[in-house]
Amino acid sequence: MQFQKEVEILAPREKVWQFIWDVDRFIACVPGCKEAKTIEEGKRYSATMVEKVGPFKVEFPTTIEVLEREELTHIKAQASGADNKIGSRMKLDLDVNLREQGDKTILGFVAGVDILGKLAALGHGIIKRKADQVLDEFAQAVKTKLEGDR
Amino acid sequence: MLRRFRLEEPQSVAEVSELLGRFGESAKVYAGGTELLLAMKEGLVQYERLVNVKNVTGLNEITVTDGSVTIGALCTHHQLETSAALTEKLPALKKLEQNVANVRVRQVGTIGGNLCFAEPHADPGTLLIALGAKLITEKSSSKREIAAEDFFVDAYETALEADEVLTKIQVPVPAANGRSAYLKFGYLERPSVGVAIAFNLNGGVKGVKVAVGCAGPAPRRVAEAEALLEGKSKDEAERNLAQAGAVAGRAAQAISDLHGSQEYKEHIVGVLLKRAFQRALS
Amino acid sequence: MARAMTRHSEAQSIPVSFTLNGRLHEIEVEPHELLLDVVRDQLGLTGAKRSCDVEVCGACTLLVDGRPVSACTTLAFEVRGRSVLTIEGLAEDGKLHPLQQAFIEHGGFQCGFCTPGMILAAKALLDENPNPSEAELKHFMHGNICRCTGYKKIIESIMAAAKKMRVKA
Repeated sequence: MQFQKEVEILAPREKVWQFIWDVDRFIACVPGCKEAKTIEEGKRYSATMVEKVGPFKVEFPTTIEVLEREELTHIKAQASGADNKIGSRMKLDLDVNLREQGDKTILGFVAGVDILGKLAALGHGIIKRKADQVLDEFAQAVKTKLEGDR
Repeated sequence: MLRRFRLEEPQSVAEVSELLGRFGESAKVYAGGTELLLAMKEGLVQYERLVNVKNVTGLNEITVTDGSVTIGALCTHHQLETSAALTEKLPALKKLEQNVANVRVRQVGTIGGNLCFAEPHADPGTLLIALGAKLITEKSSSKREIAAEDFFVDAYETALEADEVLTKIQVPVPAANGRSAYLKFGYLERPSVGVAIAFNLNGGVKGVKVAVGCAGPAPRRVAEAEALLEGKSKDEAERNLAQAGAVAGRAAQAISDLHGSQEYKEHIVGVLLKRAFQRALS
Repeated sequence: MARAMTRHSEAQSIPVSFTLNGRLHEIEVEPHELLLDVVRDQLGLTGAKRSCDVEVCGACTLLVDGRPVSACTTLAFEVRGRSVLTIEGLAEDGKLHPLQQAFIEHGGFQCGFCTPGMILAAKALLDENPNPSEAELKHFMHGNICRCTGYKKIIESIMAAAKKMRVKA
């Protein structure tokens, strides 16, 4: 599943960039994400993703790897997790882009999400909608956090 | 093989509610089990306790009172399809129930379970919305009424609170000039698209309700489609059906999946709306 | 009969007293045990088959109080106080039920996997409606799937049995 999101943030690029690497504050923007830990600063992180669709709940202990980093411009990351209780795996490929537009920063990201295993039984459509919702909420939360801190 | 769980067998709605409140997410209401047990077999959900509600009396009756048919949440689809009251007062619902799943599911599956599990590809919710049904729920000592059109929040998600129990479904008996129809389409085991329409034929088409289900995450009423038909003469309404169908199709929030692409489902919604309108008139 | 699984020390045991193929049985089951497993493994009646396991195919059809259920998705304790009929209980004193006879005479089965469920469902149909139209038959039997026959012979068999049963009645 592919997703593309863009959000306009009334904050300078440096501030947005800094925010991304502030793991605790950044992870707090991802709905259902908790217990963020830095394993290797700038390279590896861990977190637990908890998502619910009605009565179906998944808990993915997730490892996030930063693959590429272009200062103030671009981040490429990969995340993967497995919920052994439900027998499902999650894979995320993330491309984050920042560009300046006057006094605003455009934060864009392209996400490739794969859900494998039993959870897929819920149906591609349901999962796609949920993933879309999560990414939307995430983008909005980042914007709100950054614009709120002024 | 299912994972082991503890069976609770309460005798009253209050007891059911109390158990649900006490055990939270580790307990689940169990009636016919036709959806729940499948999810449990798949390993998608796990419960420490199943609360068997079938020993609670008074929840599996169909009664007709002043202008409405009250259906107990524990009524099985089979009970509904063979009910004389439904045949007489709510023939569209009777026909829907006759065609739910298969004979074995209809035998033990309950209308309450169907509505509360809120599986996207289900039939009854869509028609109950078009018929203006009210869902009566209880918890401990309080009751409330939820309009069917407000009951379905999202896929597998309803407006029910954690310790709330659906007890009855109240469906207003249509007026003598009332017309309604439910049509569905599908070639997999569960329906892919379901459309319901209800209105009074009173000079023109009045009090129209249109609902779409199965195509999107939850059944919903489509006011924008209703507006294109409301108050119109029969012929004018018929001319607006194509547009109403397109509106309803988009409102369905159709998702591309094994049942079909988004465009395909939207198209089918339009086809079914047209046919349902004509079926309702006949 | 030896139980294949060892009992958990805190297992909840539910006594189930029920009539199986005309005879009273008293067993104990845990809440999570499925009727199909109890019938096949504990009681040794393997006519009912686990096929789709999601209530769609009808190969596990059993009659509980004369009505068809999916044994694969029925908790075993639910038959307490009820009567259960499996395919093994259909013939009386070795004499085949008219449905069984008809399926043989009219070629209503090939591999036979769906057949026990098919015949039991047909029995429930004819008990409810001794003279079904083809449309009524197809509607009732819609949930019993056959991979081999293409259904024509199944319909013929049931209609033939229905006719015989009406004459006898």
